[in-house]
Amino acid sequence: MPRNVPGIIVILVGLLLLVDFVVINPTLVDVSNAVLRLVVLLAAAAGITGASFLVMRHGRAVLDGSPHRLESSVLIVGLVAMLATGLYPGSQGAADPAVRWMVTALLAPLVASLFAMLFVFLLVAVRRGMLLRSRQMRVMLLAAAVVIVLLLPLGGQLGGWLAAVAAWSEAVPIGAVFRGLLIGVGILVAVQATRILLSVNPADD
Amino acid sequence: MPNPGELLGGLVSFIGQQVSASSLRLGPVPAAAIFLIMLVLLSLVARPSARWTLRDVGRLGAVTRAMALAAESGGTAAFSLGTAGLVRGVSAVQRIQTLVALPILAHVARAAARAGVPFRVTTNDPLTAQLAASAVADAHRRTATQEREQRSSVEYLGEGRAVAAASAIVDPAAPAAAFVAGGLSEEALLLLVGTSQGAAWTSFGTAAASQAPAVVMTGDGTMIGPELLQATSDLRPGSERIAVLAANRLLLAAIVVILVGSAVALLAGVDLAVTLAGG
Repeated sequence: MPRNVPGIIVILVGLLLLVDFVVINPTLVDVSNAVLRLVVLLAAAAGITGASFLVMRHGRAVLDGSPHRLESSVLIVGLVAMLATGLYPGSQGAADPAVRWMVTALLAPLVASLFAMLFVFLLVAVRRGMLLRSRQMRVMLLAAAVVIVLLLPLGGQLGGWLAAVAAWSEAVPIGAVFRGLLIGVGILVAVQATRILLSVNPADD
Repeated sequence: MPNPGELLGGLVSFIGQQVSASSLRLGPVPAAAIFLIMLVLLSLVARPSARWTLRDVGRLGAVTRAMALAAESGGTAAFSLGTAGLVRGVSAVQRIQTLVALPILAHVARAAARAGVPFRVTTNDPLTAQLAASAVADAHRRTATQEREQRSSVEYLGEGRAVAAASAIVDPAAPAAAFVAGGLSEEALLLLVGTSQGAAWTSFGTAAASQAPAVVMTGDGTMIGPELLQATSDLRPGSERIAVLAANRLLLAAIVVILVGSAVALLAGVDLAVTLAGG
């Protein structure tokens, strides 16, 4: 396939979806919906391919006697169990009670226990950041220290003053930084979307 | 069989019917504005010819040196494409972070291929894995190092943000150079700390503003917010990059001179507006 054919397809589909966004036309809606259905099919095919490769890789690890064969076995057993409960005759798919039980009783606690380690990893990250001695890290630690002082649970006039300064900090300087980041991201998303539509990449520049 | 005249007439009739069946969703002015913005982006922004910032975003300019150090120490390089992916990302802003990370991946993959460093890419999105595999293969083809391609790998870790974070934490392999670029969410700290364990050289980036602290704390080179999207445009090796960087530093010096000079002039009581505009 010539190198510019995918780029042309991307441009045509992008323009079609853009025109469909601006113009109300029944034919355009039908064509756009057909294209989007193709995208969903592509995603489904990619999902099946990815899962197949995952099984092949971990199956090979089990068969070859890899040091991680136990973990690979657990992954394959979990995958088979989830597929069996979601695809057995008469199953309700993702809404099947067995699938729901596996998600709520097994997956959700596993994920929750992983994220429970966030505090420990935050301390590890702070230590690593201090070792890096970057200017950004110094500014961030200073700002964090100021915010901790502002959020001290104190009463009286001092507490009220600290709370007022904390609210001002959140609304003005911190809010300004976040708004600046979001505006910058928004502008550059538009730029990069255009570059992708035109198939412009650094190698072409 | 219709003659050409009837065919043309039918075509004109079809176009007329489609036009009469259409209406503008946003009104004439917003619709014109959208197309005008597209036109401006197409003509001006799609091929930027200058860097927008002064610093080497994400230390991507030093990737070659990082790979040389990795090769010297016999280490590997690891690249994670974040956790947003292309199929599984729920918003366009998350998906485009994965897309813009692919040229960065290609840049790093070329450096790794040239240096002969084993390169490992991980992702939790199947479509992204396919694109990453293409990028890595292309890097070896461009650098004429296909014989080293077997030492590079692209791994689909499985579905979910937690999967990518858990894999990074428990992976016993400590790469000499570690990269993370793409959409991140609440798992960012786990993924970044796990990836940076044992790495002598790191470069992390995400456009998710809420995850900026995690990037700052764990990465030697950082791409925060718009910098990740901008970095792709800055991947221009060679003398041109150095010249533009030098020009930008001259611009910074000029801005400092103007600001300091203006402040001095204001303190001295000179009305700059009157001086410049006359009157």
